Amino acid sequence: MSQYSPFGSITIGQYLPYGSLVHQLDPRAKIAIFTMLVAMVAFADSYAASALLLAALLVAVHLSRTPLRFTLQGLRPALPWIAIFATLQLLFYRGQYGSGTCQDLWRLGSFAITTCGLRQVGLMALRLLGFMLLTSLLTLTTSTTELTHGLESLLSPLKKLRFPAHELALVFAIALRFAPTLGGELERIMKAQASRGADFGEQGRMRFVQRTKNLLPLLVPLFLSALRRAEDLTLAMEARGYTGGKGRTSFIEFKALPRDFLVLALVTLFCLAIVLSDLRAIDGFIVDAVANGAKGILSLVAH
Amino acid sequence: MSSVIQVEDLHHTYLPGTPFEAVSLRGVNMRVDEGEIVAIIGPTGSGKSTMIQHLNALIRPQKGRVIVLGRDVSEESLDLKWLRSRVGMVFQSPEQQLFEQYVGDDIAFGPRNLGLDRSQVRQRVRQAMETVGLDFEGFKDRLTFSLSGGEMRKVAIAGVLALQPQILVFDEPTSGLDPETAREFLARIREWHSRQRLSIILVSHDMEAVALLADRIYVIAEGRSVREGTPREIFSQCDLLRGCGLDIPQIAQVMYGLRNRGWTVRLDVLSVFEAEEELGRRIDFARPLAEQSCEPVQPVR
Repeated sequence: MSQYSPFGSITIGQYLPYGSLVHQLDPRAKIAIFTMLVAMVAFADSYAASALLLAALLVAVHLSRTPLRFTLQGLRPALPWIAIFATLQLLFYRGQYGSGTCQDLWRLGSFAITTCGLRQVGLMALRLLGFMLLTSLLTLTTSTTELTHGLESLLSPLKKLRFPAHELALVFAIALRFAPTLGGELERIMKAQASRGADFGEQGRMRFVQRTKNLLPLLVPLFLSALRRAEDLTLAMEARGYTGGKGRTSFIEFKALPRDFLVLALVTLFCLAIVLSDLRAIDGFIVDAVANGAKGILSLVAH
Repeated sequence: MSSVIQVEDLHHTYLPGTPFEAVSLRGVNMRVDEGEIVAIIGPTGSGKSTMIQHLNALIRPQKGRVIVLGRDVSEESLDLKWLRSRVGMVFQSPEQQLFEQYVGDDIAFGPRNLGLDRSQVRQRVRQAMETVGLDFEGFKDRLTFSLSGGEMRKVAIAGVLALQPQILVFDEPTSGLDPETAREFLARIREWHSRQRLSIILVSHDMEAVALLADRIYVIAEGRSVREGTPREIFSQCDLLRGCGLDIPQIAQVMYGLRNRGWTVRLDVLSVFEAEEELGRRIDFARPLAEQSCEPVQPVR
């Protein structure tokens, strides 16, 4: 991977037109399911629940025929952040975990690594993995046109309350549409400045002021070009008679099919089942089993 | 004569191993000798831009070799700052890379990155500005973003020249310039070249510019080097170029037209001046044209 392709390794936001079952679902259903699952992943407070959700996501990825390896590659740029959060949480997590008591594994002044902290870190990692899978699954299988029209359609009941659903969807569409364009632009500018001897992030990782200063040769041209594009876009839209959302009809009309409702119902049931069942109890069991297993293996190795 | 750039069997694929994989180069060969002006022509998407980005290691070779000034650019230990100060890269629409508030500071960006001291930087900025035709005292404290498009392009090019490279690479240098400015600009390139023994690589769709400047031409199509030769050799192969989606200079097209109408004129003319000379040799302007018979010729192609 070239060091000058800032978005080359980010897989979120790229649509793969494979036409699978997941692709064909009504985007409104997909957005609803996405929202529901994001909430589920965010509030999943046990390993068992996280594992179930991840398993479901992996099945969905499989059904969508998008290559899992490609999706996981998108995780790579996030890894340093995950590591930082994990370290902080490991050192500072003071909460309880379930009904079990926490044991200190290591303590130095106010820093402490507890068994609870350790469990919490594992959960967080699974949660982030879940978010990544969800977002890339949605964007890999849904074109931005479908996404924005779906969003507008879902929000349109709110138009009666003067909620700017169309404008919001438009803003969303433009942002998504221009992310890769600006990414390409950034790459171009990076290469031009590197050709003049500029150095990006290759040295002095800790010198924040210097590093921020080093970004100016990128940010100024990037902002200028973004503003220029915005102006061009405004002109182009006005030249084609755009006057806002009022009285505007859509070329794309969605029609929900029975299968959309079926999938939506299934996912809702799945989520309800997870919420209602006491998975934390199973969790203690799993953790114990894993610990016992590890002990067993260790003693085997010792023999 | 020693070569400053050697490209051997260069391959490049974008985003390999992903659904967005795209093969860009599939075996490019090229050589540039010291002090030469080499033009690279090829249709859009033929891999020209990818190829030239290897010359200062913005892209490292995936397969094949690129030797610049005796150094292999795939070497891990290669000093990138050194390489980039030796190979000056002027991208398309370079005025879009300007970022400093004042003209002088923007041009000084390169020399400062090289770690030169104040007086050396100042000296280089002055020289670079004079080379592109900007008055040092008059322009160094002007606001960069208040300049005209043409002036901004000059500033951007001065920013590259201030590195004092031995090799200059231009990607579409005349795009977006009006004919007058473009002509003036090409004349300047030729002048720098004769004064400083620079080796110049010119990537362009502007066949007039290529005909005017290049010592040699490489034709690249679908990621491969298809043909190499002097402008006369290349531009007399109209069919080859048209087959690649390219064309020959307008004045050469005129000569082709004449030949097709039965005039035995040379086809490998590169300028209006040469065409005039050739036609003067063929046509006796003292007699009315209608009385002059043309020599019978085979139809071209």
